[in-house]
Amino acid sequence: QQQIALQRLVLQAGSLPTKVICLTQVVSADELKDDEEYEDILEDMREEGRKYGNLVNVVIPRPHPNGEPTPGVGKVYLEYTDVDGAMKARQGLHGRKFGGNSVVAVFYPENKFAEGVYDN
Amino acid sequence: DSGVGVRKRKTRWADEEPRLPSVVLPDFMNDILGSVDLDPEVQALNIRMLEITRFLASGGPLDERPEGARSPSPEPVYDNMGIRINTREYRARERLNRERLEIISQLIKKNPAFKPPADYRPPKLHK
Repeated sequence: QQQIALQRLVLQAGSLPTKVICLTQVVSADELKDDEEYEDILEDMREEGRKYGNLVNVVIPRPHPNGEPTPGVGKVYLEYTDVDGAMKARQGLHGRKFGGNSVVAVFYPENKFAEGVYDN
Repeated sequence: DSGVGVRKRKTRWADEEPRLPSVVLPDFMNDILGSVDLDPEVQALNIRMLEITRFLASGGPLDERPEGARSPSPEPVYDNMGIRINTREYRARERLNRERLEIISQLIKKNPAFKPPADYRPPKLHK
């Protein structure tokens, strides 16, 4: 019975736990255009992400200088060495405010992340 | 990062929201949370039920108003041993127990899938 409840919870979350979490609704394309601001945001993410586990990679897709649409802009991807870290980070970051935005944290498929595919 | 001249940057992360005090929820609350119900009325009922449950478990304080300010007590009732049955504490607990049962039956009415606490016995409708 507990297992059923757990399964339902996992399905509700929309994705199974992975080592990668994706923070949506975090940053705007404008913020990312500025190099200094981009570095700042990157550092903010590293600093905070480290608190939850062994953070190995932070990816923040930036908008194309020529205005071409780039997938994943506005999102931040955090990769951990294990699912445990990612789970803690998702738990801890979901609902937190970043620069006034309410962060939504979801697990992101590892294979997509490894291929550098940043969408959805 | 060589750490030279470590600027004290202000992080964009807001402080962690003060989480609700992490009480260990009784099983029945987990069941409720499992079937997350966003109906505010149902939520209010659940919260009130939790309050009562906690109060009953903790044996919280009674109405502390002085004698004259409280409504008059009913005539005392004694058992065969001559010990008073309807003490203030007893009556307070009874009142809360009744309220709790009433809340549970309302929750069941609103959500037939609602799993009542293990100690819940549906009230007998007719004697």
